[in-house]
Amino acid sequence: MSETGSAEAAPRSLAAGFGRLIVLVYVVFAVSAGARALFQVATKFGDAPVSFALSAIAAVIYLVAAVAIIRGAGRLAMLAVGIEMAGVLAVGGLSFAVPQWFPEPSVWSHFGSGYGYVPLVLPAVGLVYLLKRRSG
Amino acid sequence: MIEWLYLAVQAAALAMSAWFFVDTARSRQVGRRHFVGVAVLEALLLVQLAVSIAIVPGEAGGGKALFFSYLVTTILVPVAACFWGSIDRSRWGIGTVAASGLIVAALLLRVHQIWELQIHV
Repeated sequence: MSETGSAEAAPRSLAAGFGRLIVLVYVVFAVSAGARALFQVATKFGDAPVSFALSAIAAVIYLVAAVAIIRGAGRLAMLAVGIEMAGVLAVGGLSFAVPQWFPEPSVWSHFGSGYGYVPLVLPAVGLVYLLKRRSG
Repeated sequence: MIEWLYLAVQAAALAMSAWFFVDTARSRQVGRRHFVGVAVLEALLLVQLAVSIAIVPGEAGGGKALFFSYLVTTILVPVAACFWGSIDRSRWGIGTVAASGLIVAALLLRVHQIWELQIHV
């Protein structure tokens, strides 16, 4: 209903509507995961190199996804969110299978339990949103 | 952190979020009353910051820089969400600001954790 507010037939930006909420959450995660990773890499990288490197990679992917959605680059956004989904599933599984690799938690270990499982829910919601926007 | 103040700010963040999500469901546009709501939350957060500046440096533990970086980020999130959300004409304009209330609650939880585990020991 309210989604058809504009009079022009111009295609709606990916970052409009629900996409706006998604971008906010992605930016917050990029900043918090990034700042945390920088802090950990700078102060205690040797303690848990795998965890900290993964957190840094996650931060970059969150940032790419946010920028891609803002710029309307649908395919890049899909790629970033897809990698994110694969990453959280792989790292989440590995953190249970090989816990000694993760003496300190990363954003994605235990499927993001340290972040209220938002890292697991976010790519799922993002993929559904991007697929819906592509077909609609 | 003063426990009752922390809980009051948490309650305000969650209440603002709930109210804004109700307005999201009703497809309301971002209006003046929403900015008043965010201003109230921001005022409480600034009180939290002022109190923290008064008491945290005197505590024994470490992690104080981390504490303040989290708290300042918390204060900035609703402001950023207001700028970013209010330009949207769909229901998700106010929905975005509503989500920022949940983010504030989550970040405050972390601030409180740092206080309990690292600073106030």
